[in-house]
Amino acid sequence: MLKLESVTKRFRGGNYGVRDLSLDINGGVLGLLGPNGAGKTTLMQMIATITKPTSGSITFRGADLARDPDALRRKLGYLPQDFGVYDNLTAIEFLSYFASLKGVRSRARVQEMLELVNLHSVSNRAIGGFSGGMKQRLGIAQALINDPELVIVDEPTAGLDPEERVRFRNVLSDLGAGKLVILSTHIVSDIESIATHIAIMREGRLVSLAAPEDLLRGAEGNVWEMIVSSDRYDELRRTAKVSTALRKSDGVHVRIVSRDRPSSEASIAEPSLEDAFLYTMSYAA
Amino acid sequence: MIQRIAAIVRADVLVRFRRFSTLVIFLLLSASALLWVPDPKTGRTLISIGGHRALYNSGSIGMATAMLASIFVGLFGFYVISNAVRRDVMTRCGFVAASTEMRTHEYLLGKFLGNVVFLTTFMTGFMLAAMVMLIIRAEAPLQPLVFASQYAILIPSTIVFVSVLAILFESIPWLSGRFGDVVYFFFWAAALGVVVNSLEHGGSRWLLYFDFNGFGYLFEFTKNVWHTKNMSIGQTSFDVKQAPVVVQGLWLNREWFLMRLASTLAPLPLLGIALLFFHRFDPARVRIGGEKGKRSWIGMLNRMTKPFVRPFTALAMRGGAASDAALTIASTPIIAVTAIAFAIAALAGSDVSVPAFCALGIFVADIATRERRAGTLGFVYSAPKLKSQFVMWKFTSSLIVALFVMAIPLLRGAPAPSPARIVAVFFVCAAATSLGVISGNPKTFIVVYLTLWYVSVSDKGATPSLNFAAFQRVPPSAVVAGYFAASIALLVAAEGMHRRILRRT
Repeated sequence: MLKLESVTKRFRGGNYGVRDLSLDINGGVLGLLGPNGAGKTTLMQMIATITKPTSGSITFRGADLARDPDALRRKLGYLPQDFGVYDNLTAIEFLSYFASLKGVRSRARVQEMLELVNLHSVSNRAIGGFSGGMKQRLGIAQALINDPELVIVDEPTAGLDPEERVRFRNVLSDLGAGKLVILSTHIVSDIESIATHIAIMREGRLVSLAAPEDLLRGAEGNVWEMIVSSDRYDELRRTAKVSTALRKSDGVHVRIVSRDRPSSEASIAEPSLEDAFLYTMSYAA
Repeated sequence: MIQRIAAIVRADVLVRFRRFSTLVIFLLLSASALLWVPDPKTGRTLISIGGHRALYNSGSIGMATAMLASIFVGLFGFYVISNAVRRDVMTRCGFVAASTEMRTHEYLLGKFLGNVVFLTTFMTGFMLAAMVMLIIRAEAPLQPLVFASQYAILIPSTIVFVSVLAILFESIPWLSGRFGDVVYFFFWAAALGVVVNSLEHGGSRWLLYFDFNGFGYLFEFTKNVWHTKNMSIGQTSFDVKQAPVVVQGLWLNREWFLMRLASTLAPLPLLGIALLFFHRFDPARVRIGGEKGKRSWIGMLNRMTKPFVRPFTALAMRGGAASDAALTIASTPIIAVTAIAFAIAALAGSDVSVPAFCALGIFVADIATRERRAGTLGFVYSAPKLKSQFVMWKFTSSLIVALFVMAIPLLRGAPAPSPARIVAVFFVCAAATSLGVISGNPKTFIVVYLTLWYVSVSDKGATPSLNFAAFQRVPPSAVVAGYFAASIALLVAAEGMHRRILRRT
């Protein structure tokens, strides 16, 4: 469905956004993980045909997007990072605007999308009065209004409260089969339950592309847990890759990502996706 | 295609008309029409032709108010509408639009038509208010078609011209910011008189085909139909002993029709240039445009002179208004370069007050608004006292920058230093702070202040009340006191607005 071959984006001034990145993916939910500045947003913007790669090619169902961006645009839903709204429009006006831009003429479809994101009861209210979560749901509604085959959402849960995060995740996971959803985040829990593939980026490069199970399998035997005193924990934080730490009455329960046993009292633990991500970031070539 | 363009126009118009500030401007503009048609018993009138008062009928009031409206649209309209693309960058809605099948020309055409609809609606409100004044003055019955035809002859070319230029300026990175705002002002001022001046001095008539504000056509019409070059429009005096003349308003013969049509259509090809420059929300290009003119000559000059203002960067780390002023100078080194140039010229005995006051207005324009526009107001408010004393902080900061630029020209310039110029500096800073706080946008101050500066320089001191900076002659004490009082009033208004905003948020 979507194929990237040696894609590079170099900005004026010589900085690289993305370097020599290749991937080939057919469907499902691709979670794009990486720290800030890893190049996730630049990659998504290139796929969304907003900016062109400096070199390399992106093809969607065989069509080269540099030559024929419309091959994707008519089947694309895109929610950019920090998506804002026109505060003075109502939800229905805002959605109708994007529906028109995407060539969707059906009023029923607009209503259907508002119902999907649970905003139908406030469809005639000005968006300026919406919460961050409501605005973000409106954002996903505009991305889905043309029933896209490829949905790109960039850091969609940033700034949302836990309840809204879960709601947003559910909307994405309910999108249905046959579509490809690319979701970027630097929070592993956002994609833990919904991603069928996980791509990890670092400094513009693709470090890993694997199914979550494979990623977890790769980290097996490299995650350790132990209970330490507060003083020891402070020392460990400086010397080891601490994945999580939880203070309890018997001390601090820490999980450490390491190829070697960090301490004699450490025992092997089953890796979580967060551990696997840290392991990949630390040890992948 | 039409569906997409219509959607862009509709969204643009809705977004603009639902703003409270738009409503206020609309009502103020409409109300201003009421002021332009004085009662002749006061000795003043709307139009005087060769000393004769023009009787208030649909032709005369329609023509005169349409002429005034053309000036308003030409000057203020640009600043009101030149944010259509920027809004889409800020909200990221443009990024979504760019990922659809929407063509770039559809987007620009939609934005252009959105501008046209917006300005036309404003002008309709102004025209209706002027019609009401005709009814109130009751010297002749209202003939709506005659009245509207005056607007139809004069206004479309201005609306199209301003709407196209707003899109063009927003599309060209180095014209899309404050530099573009200033450039437009001087462009507009030059365009205002160029056709008439050329015709007066026997220049070619082909300029009438590029007569965007209609002044050239009006000049031709009055010369050929009313056989005079002496016509005044807008709150003018007249000879009460002379009988009023009946003016039937403007009309078009075949040649004039072609001229007006050509003047309306002539700016449209500029949309093609906008199309060449437009970034289509490509983040790589938007980023370059967004960064303070990295590729412009001002940006290059700023970078080149950056090392010379390092001491200001160090000063900026300290607290208070001095640090804010130092930050202004450190972030815009061209201020320091200009100050040095003015100082050298002043020490050599030149009077640099005209360019210095122009530059001063541009330099202090965004001091009061930059935090709000950059979204860093929260950081500033978290510092001790800055939240409650924001207006005074910004005013003092502007004053320090102003003194940095103007100190030597004020002390050593010719003519000798006058209280009028010190008050003028005070007034400029107060106005910049006040309009910045009230509107949240530096454009408001830039357009109002540059208009005052331009009128004052052109007037050469003939009207003392306009001579705020003693450009050609020293104004009377009462005028100086008036500007000082106005400065205080502006600061009080800003403080009131600031407190209101704080209460609301």
